[in-house]
Amino acid sequence: MSGLSYLVLFFPIVLVILLVLEACRSDDPKKIAKRALANFGVLTAVLVLGGAFVYVINRWF
Amino acid sequence: MSTAREFKFFVLIFGLVLVLVSTFLRKGERIKGVAFFVGWIVPGAGHFLLGKWKKGLFFFLLLGATYLFGMWIAGFRPVSYDDNPFYFVGQYGSGITLLIAKLRGAEKAIVRPAIHPSWFDPGLLYVCVVGLLNLVVMMNTLDLKVEAPSSAPAPAGASEGKPADAPKPATAVPAPAAPPPAPEKAT
Repeated sequence: MSGLSYLVLFFPIVLVILLVLEACRSDDPKKIAKRALANFGVLTAVLVLGGAFVYVINRWF
Repeated sequence: MSTAREFKFFVLIFGLVLVLVSTFLRKGERIKGVAFFVGWIVPGAGHFLLGKWKKGLFFFLLLGATYLFGMWIAGFRPVSYDDNPFYFVGQYGSGITLLIAKLRGAEKAIVRPAIHPSWFDPGLLYVCVVGLLNLVVMMNTLDLKVEAPSSAPAPAGASEGKPADAPKPATAVPAPAAPPPAPEKAT
């Protein structure tokens, strides 16, 4: 198991947090799942883009 | 942190929250204060008490599974103060996790042998996040709508043995009179 494998743990914990927060806001399960997944996508995109940016900066600058 | 000081700390926090909640909640919403504390003991139990049993079950299963996963990574040992003081406090966001931590003793958490050591800190984080999320769930019980108590004035239909949400009978409002026929044009 690689030392970087702990990054896998990002997905469940963020999904749990977003599901709980959305469940506090709404009663509709479909709306909860939809909003949680949308926010999860945004957060993951920010993480990936930020990581790529840092990688580029460290690699070539 | 010594056990006696720890106990005094939690009694102080618990009493402070109890006084605040019981002071600021209106009389008809005392059940929310009870649900708030029941929700601390078991995640989701507050929602269950307020009639939102599906949501309570959802919170219980979700937070329970996350807690068990974090504990599995950490070798089913609670987060000790030496591991991480922040995670240590965070795991006390729920009474049942506090009880488990006390029953398991003050052993230092260790990562499971089959797991890479890099998983250790995220495992502690899982346990901590469950406690913090339970605080959010507890606060949500204060925001729920509670049905009006039975002492409230009943609607007009209820006094006649009809359910309150029954459709209202059609009232005898006269239909608008048809407009008078237009006078015929003189040819």
